[in-house]
Amino acid sequence: MDQRKGISRRLFLQRATTIGAAAAVPGLLAACGSGVEEGAAPTATGGTTPAGTPTGAATTPAATASVTETATETGTESPTAAAGEPLKIGLLIPTGGVYASLGEDMRNGFQLYLDQHDGALGGRPVEVVEEDSEANPEVGLRKAQKLLNEDRVAMVTGIVSSAVALGVRDLFHEAQVPLIISNAGANDITRAAKSPYIFRTSFSNWQSTYSLGQWAYDNVAQEGMYVIAPDYAAGAEDIAAFRESFEAAGGTVLTGGLPPFGTTQDYQPFLSEIGNAGAQAVFAFFAGGEAITFVQQYRDFGLKDTLPLIGPGFLTDEGVLEAQGDAALGLRTSLHYTPLLDNPTNSAYVEAYEAAYGEQPTVYTVQSYDAAQLIDLALGELGGDTADVDALVDAMANIGALDSPRGPFEMDPVTHNPIQNFYLREVQEVDGGLGNAVLEDLGPFPDPG
Amino acid sequence: MESLVGWLDANLISILNGVARGLLLFTMAVGLSLIFGLADVLNLAHGAVFLLGAYMAFQFAGDGTGFVVAVLAAVVLGVLLGGGLTAALRPISGRGHLDQALLTLGIAFVLSDIASIVWGNDFRSVPPPAFLRGSTNIVGHAYPTYRLAVIVVGLAIAGAVYALFERTQLGAVVRAAVEDRAMVSALGINVGRVLVAVFAIGSALAAFGGVIGGPVLAVNPGLDWEVLILALIVVVIGGLGSIKGAFAGALLIGQVQSLGVALVPQLAAFLLFGAMAVVLLVRPEGLFGDVTA
Repeated sequence: MDQRKGISRRLFLQRATTIGAAAAVPGLLAACGSGVEEGAAPTATGGTTPAGTPTGAATTPAATASVTETATETGTESPTAAAGEPLKIGLLIPTGGVYASLGEDMRNGFQLYLDQHDGALGGRPVEVVEEDSEANPEVGLRKAQKLLNEDRVAMVTGIVSSAVALGVRDLFHEAQVPLIISNAGANDITRAAKSPYIFRTSFSNWQSTYSLGQWAYDNVAQEGMYVIAPDYAAGAEDIAAFRESFEAAGGTVLTGGLPPFGTTQDYQPFLSEIGNAGAQAVFAFFAGGEAITFVQQYRDFGLKDTLPLIGPGFLTDEGVLEAQGDAALGLRTSLHYTPLLDNPTNSAYVEAYEAAYGEQPTVYTVQSYDAAQLIDLALGELGGDTADVDALVDAMANIGALDSPRGPFEMDPVTHNPIQNFYLREVQEVDGGLGNAVLEDLGPFPDPG
Repeated sequence: MESLVGWLDANLISILNGVARGLLLFTMAVGLSLIFGLADVLNLAHGAVFLLGAYMAFQFAGDGTGFVVAVLAAVVLGVLLGGGLTAALRPISGRGHLDQALLTLGIAFVLSDIASIVWGNDFRSVPPPAFLRGSTNIVGHAYPTYRLAVIVVGLAIAGAVYALFERTQLGAVVRAAVEDRAMVSALGINVGRVLVAVFAIGSALAAFGGVIGGPVLAVNPGLDWEVLILALIVVVIGGLGSIKGAFAGALLIGQVQSLGVALVPQLAAFLLFGAMAVVLLVRPEGLFGDVTA
């Protein structure tokens, strides 16, 4: 009897662990938790959902019009799309996990612009519908479908992760609903997979990294550059763009590591490899929680004193600097924003943001602030009317320059990606805290498309 | 010979780090293993207890004395949670593994959500005590001093747990109860009370692990599942109800995660479950599992 009991117990434990192992696949457990509420939410994973997803609209029962027209007509918009009516905007951001702080920043930046404009964009009072993407492409797609089909939002903004952006691209393109990405840098979104309905107020991964290559060759190292980034869409693109520019400048990249995204607690094996590989400098792309862990461990394993560490400025943005502390001091990175930029728009912005949220703004807050600005100006040109989606996206594409805290900002009418300057920054002690001081303006870097 | 020395030199830090991670994991897994062995309960809330311990570290550990406060708070919290879990499980005792697992899973979700409400979803970093900051030179390689301290403390904990369960009367009763609860009960020993004690000790160890793990791991509301799965793997590999098994399993998993990833970084995501699969194929009862247990 004992023996039987023992065996059944063991069997159970093994099964339970198998279930646990399956749950270890990122986000699955959490997805179960929230998926239950979603109930019948479809989980299309292919990324290509049938066209006209939001045509469930009962407003056009005389469905004789062509598919395109139907989609445009309903466009998830209520029949009265005129000025004065509330404008529903979806905000798709992660609220947990390594990118939680990025999502929060994006919400704050968008809200700040709303608060400064009486809660209205283009003359329409705005109602924001927030959904948690969990920085996971499958979840992101499901939540985007929910925003379009159930909430019937007029447009969506947000999106931190490149993988999520790529996952929802077809949905927005085929539904013809404007998507204003305020972070995710996936290159294809403004290149091969660009869509008349998708815009970016942030950056392309190529942009944020290519800007660093020549400078790194001139100032950091000519060879032996170790490259490391998390193993997902953005990590691979960042490494590729850095290689491209660094090698074009004449440098040679040593080798690299791709730690699993979102689940790596300990970078020690990679840090030891950096030491063993005889690297002369390290290029790293990390953001959010991963940036904190990596920068701290880089110091703890004694690399900070011997090997320069550079990367896109997400590595030391203001949201992670405090937690990184001394470990970040002196690191040099490149980005299209720092709160220490000296221009009047930025000074006013920093002051307003600090007054509203009691902390420094970050690049993510600015990108979402500018997304709100883009919507506001484009919609303003149309008198708040969202009925004609093509006119709306046309207005966005030709909006020209925005008065952005980041300095020069021009919407590229072809790629829908901003043409903007990149700044070489260094983490320094500023007013008793840490800040990213500008060392050099690297100039404008338009994405080649 | 020379190549061996070279190899050791190149991988010394990985091996050392594997030991630190393994010992950290042991403080977590040993409680899970004992609770399973004795109470026949797969306590899926064990990870949440670890997480709350880690948040105690975040809350209190600003300096050296803060760290002591965090340890005390975590241990008290662990004991209370362990007692609470036994009480919660009593009404459904004998209803089978699945019911118990579901209950503890539910409790785990609740605790995890509470942590998320109180401390937010951000990644929190916990500073080590001031005198343990910085790194120590180990044969020419820098290694974080705090992690050396984790190794020392982890070994001490392992020794204490071993002594408690192998050298004391309570330990003898626990081991006997793992083998045959009915018989121990027939001898006039209150197994229910032993159960509470084991639950409390196991949970306190998990919470303590959370505190000392705080400065090594990024504390966030997903950490509980990550460590729970690691601990489950350790228990499966080591054999359930066995302290030696938990120790060996934890050290093995520590090396897989550290040395293994350093040697074949491309397989980082796969190595863990690969190691578990290999052990189960070769020894289905676990390294130290007793077939008749």
